[in-house]
Amino acid sequence: MSGDLLVLPQRWSATQRQRMALGALVALELALLALVGTQLIRVQVVEDRRDLVGEVETIHFRNEIVGDPPLLGLILVGVGLPLISRRLRREPVLLVATQAAVVGLIVFVLWPLAQVFVEGFKAGQGAAGFSLIQFEKLLEAPMVARAVRGTLVIGVTSALLSTVIGTLVAYTLTLTDAPWKRWLSILTTLPLVSPPFAVSFAIILLFGRRGLITYDLFHITQYDIYGPHGIVFVQLISDIPLAALILSAVFASISRDLEEAAEDLGGHPFYVLRTVTFPLVTPAILTAVLLTFINAIADFGNPMLIGGGYQVLATQAFIQMIELFDLQSGAALAMLLLVPALAAFILQHWITNRRSYITVTGGARTGHIRRLPGWIKWPLFGLCLFLAGFNVLLYGSIFVGAAVKAWGFDYTPTLQNTYGLLNSLPMLRNSLIVSVGSGLLGGLIGILLAWLVTRQRFPGRGTLDFSATLMYAIPGTVIGIGYIIAFNAAPYFWTGTFFIIIVAYAFRRLPVGLRTAVAAQKQIDPSLEEASLDLGASRLRTFTHITFPLLSRAFFAGVIYIFIRSMTDLSAAVFLNAGRTQLFTVRMFRVMITSTPSEAAAFAALLIVIILIALGVLSKVTGKSFVDLFRV
Amino acid sequence: MPEAFATAAISLQNLTKRFGAVTAVDDVSLKVESGTLVCLLGPSGCGKTTTLRMVGGFEEPAAGRIFIGDEDVTSLPPYARPTAMVFQSYALFPHMTVYDNIAYGLRARRAAKDEIARRVQDALGLMELHGHEKKSPPQLSGGQQQRVALARALVIRPKVLLFDEPLSNLDAQLRVRMRGEIRAVQKRLGITSVYVTHDQEEAFSIADQVAVMNAGQIAQIGAPRELYRQPADRFVAEFVGLSNIVAAELVEHNARGATVRVFGQTIRSRRPPRNPDHQVAVVLRPEALRVEKAGGAGVPARVLTQAFVGPLVRYTVTAHDGTVLTVDLHNPGPDEFFAEDTPITLRLPDEVPALLS
Repeated sequence: MSGDLLVLPQRWSATQRQRMALGALVALELALLALVGTQLIRVQVVEDRRDLVGEVETIHFRNEIVGDPPLLGLILVGVGLPLISRRLRREPVLLVATQAAVVGLIVFVLWPLAQVFVEGFKAGQGAAGFSLIQFEKLLEAPMVARAVRGTLVIGVTSALLSTVIGTLVAYTLTLTDAPWKRWLSILTTLPLVSPPFAVSFAIILLFGRRGLITYDLFHITQYDIYGPHGIVFVQLISDIPLAALILSAVFASISRDLEEAAEDLGGHPFYVLRTVTFPLVTPAILTAVLLTFINAIADFGNPMLIGGGYQVLATQAFIQMIELFDLQSGAALAMLLLVPALAAFILQHWITNRRSYITVTGGARTGHIRRLPGWIKWPLFGLCLFLAGFNVLLYGSIFVGAAVKAWGFDYTPTLQNTYGLLNSLPMLRNSLIVSVGSGLLGGLIGILLAWLVTRQRFPGRGTLDFSATLMYAIPGTVIGIGYIIAFNAAPYFWTGTFFIIIVAYAFRRLPVGLRTAVAAQKQIDPSLEEASLDLGASRLRTFTHITFPLLSRAFFAGVIYIFIRSMTDLSAAVFLNAGRTQLFTVRMFRVMITSTPSEAAAFAALLIVIILIALGVLSKVTGKSFVDLFRV
Repeated sequence: MPEAFATAAISLQNLTKRFGAVTAVDDVSLKVESGTLVCLLGPSGCGKTTTLRMVGGFEEPAAGRIFIGDEDVTSLPPYARPTAMVFQSYALFPHMTVYDNIAYGLRARRAAKDEIARRVQDALGLMELHGHEKKSPPQLSGGQQQRVALARALVIRPKVLLFDEPLSNLDAQLRVRMRGEIRAVQKRLGITSVYVTHDQEEAFSIADQVAVMNAGQIAQIGAPRELYRQPADRFVAEFVGLSNIVAAELVEHNARGATVRVFGQTIRSRRPPRNPDHQVAVVLRPEALRVEKAGGAGVPARVLTQAFVGPLVRYTVTAHDGTVLTVDLHNPGPDEFFAEDTPITLRLPDEVPALLS
């Protein structure tokens, strides 16, 4: 490779040429870094000379070099660390890939998060030093104290309830002989793929003040869906499928042999359930609790729509940042939100990294169907049927709502709601640009990182993996705030650009893309890549001709997953988009708040159709069913 | 294809490789003469595969140097080395046809199209693969996959061929046939090769020189006959299939040989002991021992087991002091079959090639 990069005197030995090439490469990187990291800016200087010469203001321009020394220093570390490895030093392509991964994670994951902490401990705009004043201020404000309590109440309640119900659903649909299991699996999983706040919107359509069920069907006017109970209700709808997915994977992998061995040794069925089956699924149950907790406290759209003034941290942070533009207290709030999320994530990481109980021996008989007595089976089946039916009702109401004149008042079919959509085509285009971009970028980074993490041995590999997975736990609100603090000012001015939204989404959804790619990479015999190298193909050629073709399915799965998540995101979007780059979900959210339900329903319906198309493509590409795609 | 290869000798100088706290390869030096095949033989974990992978460039040595011909390749990545490896799993690219697999290395070198076509055809001919070009690897039998792997390695005309237990995925009969083919091709092209295996019989049948490895070091290197007749130590003796190692009492020794007593019998060694101060032992090759009806001159013993395996009968016997020995009786006569638990007399050889310490 070195010989291809540079034409160097032939009389030098291969080793010497290699050293020269490495030196040149590092010099090139440093030059590039200096170029990107600093910027020559024309600064407008207004001198107010009023006191001297009356009404005169002189404006002149000065050129200034602006940089971000701390970040530049960190990037230097990221560029320098991989140079320690002798293996990487001798292979320029590998070296650059590793440096890019490390620098990417430093700049777009660790740095914005660190900024949240730095800013939150500042006394005020531009103040230096460490101060707790933001927290004192916040905790004195009754709104914030309520938001902290509210966030925890909603997080804990929805995590526990959704895990219990999700476990029952998973058990019924994987291990019992209940009918219609295939369709019930699909229908109960549905809320995972819709924009999260579409659920609360649909709930309002059904149970709101002019709701179809509450008002039209039962003529109830006293009931109010808005409030904490509404938020928990909506969280359950989206989190039960998540918990059910996590648990059904484990239920399906429990070896029947273990249970039979326990029965054979004299265990009564309930004794076996308590001593064998339940301990086997405990890690998965804990994982479900923690991940649904992270989901519930991070949510922004639903509490905004259905909270009815009930404050949670995510909404409070938004108000502080966007409406009051108080960067410091926004950061402090984000920190309050980040700490429990990170704690839950690290706990979850620790649980899954301990010995996994899932047996992967080839011959084990798994997914054994239990014949349950009717009094257990039918109530379980009823629960699944109810959830499936409820989901159909929810999404049905969105489509019906989009096609009628005025939901709640006039149910005459009409096409008038599409007019609003036509005005929003630029936002739809923006969303598509951003989602395709972040899908491709995130998919590529996922493949690259997966390859580094599974195929290469280097110090800090575990840290790299952890940093890449970290984003899973970071609420979108926190990401938005972190990115604004880190990249809003000179020399970046990135806020509101497509670039920053794409990068934010790509890194935010990277964990899932990474896990998919790692799983796929582990299926591939490492000697395939070695054979290619051995036959004289460079690292790059080996990647493009061998690794990538064999990983292409995982790559597309990652791309489409990130595409869907980006199309439906609201919490980071509200911080990062600007007029020119306004996203479809942000527009849709505005419409939901300001316009008629029917007009808003048209937006939600269009988004759902786009997602279903993407899922169809994904399912074609990977040959997997819709439900399997979300088992990550 | 059968044009002469520009092959080269390999020289490993004080190679060391550590994985964490484990020293997988410990100060190994080895010379492979140009055009010869050297086997690295040893149990799993002895460092033989790691050594091979360092030659191929897949592992970075912690210390030491690797030369191919006059070129120091120690710091070169795999793709810049003039080596080609045949992998244990064959590592055929599953998304390419047989033809594309074989052409891969030439395309990576940006060879001209007609050149690629010519050389792939030659390789297909050499490995008798004509008619399989369009197939994808999973459609081939194990032996055919093995041939494609070899063709793919040979087509780039490497200076050195590396084999990483290439036959371990084949059944016993095919293994014997394929090792014959590999050796024939290697000899015909006169290409320097390093061959890793844990199978003593395979190593002996294919190699010019065998290096027996133990715990990251080369315990002994020599021609197969030499290893078998004069194993350097107990490990080598046991690993090349000699399990009858019996402690002996040194009677006298000089520069030309030694005399020892085993089971009360006197045996001459054609070589002096390496270290006369230590306890010595003799290796009694199973085919050098004989069993006879009880009573004659020799060591009183008793048959433990008897196994008839066609050309020979293999006995395990216990000598009067409890030592268990294996005896191979080739082409046994009708009076040489003894049932289990029969008392017999064990006849020792008069002479052994060397002593162990």
